[in-house]
Amino acid sequence: MYRGREGQWAFFLHRISGIALLLWLLLHTLNISSAMWGPAVSNRLMLFFHVPIFQVGLLLVTAAALYHSFNGLRIIIMDFTGWGIKYQRQLWYGVIALCVLVAVPGLILTVPRIIHAATHGGAQ
Amino acid sequence: MAIRARRYADAKAQASSNTELLWWVFMRVSGLVMVFLVLGHIYMNFVLIDVSTINYTYVAERLSNTTWKIYDWLILVLAMLHGMNGLRYVMDDWIRNPARRFATKAVVYSLAVLVVIVGSFSLFNHDFSKDLKQAAQTQGSVKP
Repeated sequence: MYRGREGQWAFFLHRISGIALLLWLLLHTLNISSAMWGPAVSNRLMLFFHVPIFQVGLLLVTAAALYHSFNGLRIIIMDFTGWGIKYQRQLWYGVIALCVLVAVPGLILTVPRIIHAATHGGAQ
Repeated sequence: MAIRARRYADAKAQASSNTELLWWVFMRVSGLVMVFLVLGHIYMNFVLIDVSTINYTYVAERLSNTTWKIYDWLILVLAMLHGMNGLRYVMDDWIRNPARRFATKAVVYSLAVLVVIVGSFSLFNHDFSKDLKQAAQTQGSVKP
């Protein structure tokens, strides 16, 4: 099915990012759902998730979402076009390039906010 | 047995059952839809605003809006089905012992059902607009 290193990495990263995203879906759904028990419960839970280390974790989850999205599109291209499998390696480098292209402005925007929240004990 | 094909024609030939082929198609269709839904969700709640400002009031205001209720529920259901089916492939690959595999699946699927129920209740069985109105009346504004 896969020959060569890139295909193996593409598959492995897709699987690991998928598991991470599923775990996030469970945590995030329960966390946001807690709003139905009122501000006392849900604000305390959300403050817990605003701890800087979780914000860094959130960046990793976002990276997982980007990679899983773009590599998923690569899989769809391989499945439904005649040329997709032939260029799977080039497509994978395209996936990585797209991730970096989106991640750089995203990090420039969000990292200062995280640092500000961490040093000032709250949002900007 | 999960399908390992890289083409629809191969997938059809390899599918052990119609259900398995249906899951193969579902993974592609739901994935394509979620690229837009989830990246849009991240853009609205992580890029446009500072996540550390998110509190009860923000969530309650968002969940008072029918558009976001439907949007969020679509993500919840599609992501849960997509994710749980993906995890089924992983469990079939990684857990060799049949008894242990069955037990793991039972626990994992039960957890999925529970989370979908809790999520759906918060979206459709709770009137956040009423909460916000009440809070505004009693204390002038909702405390963050």
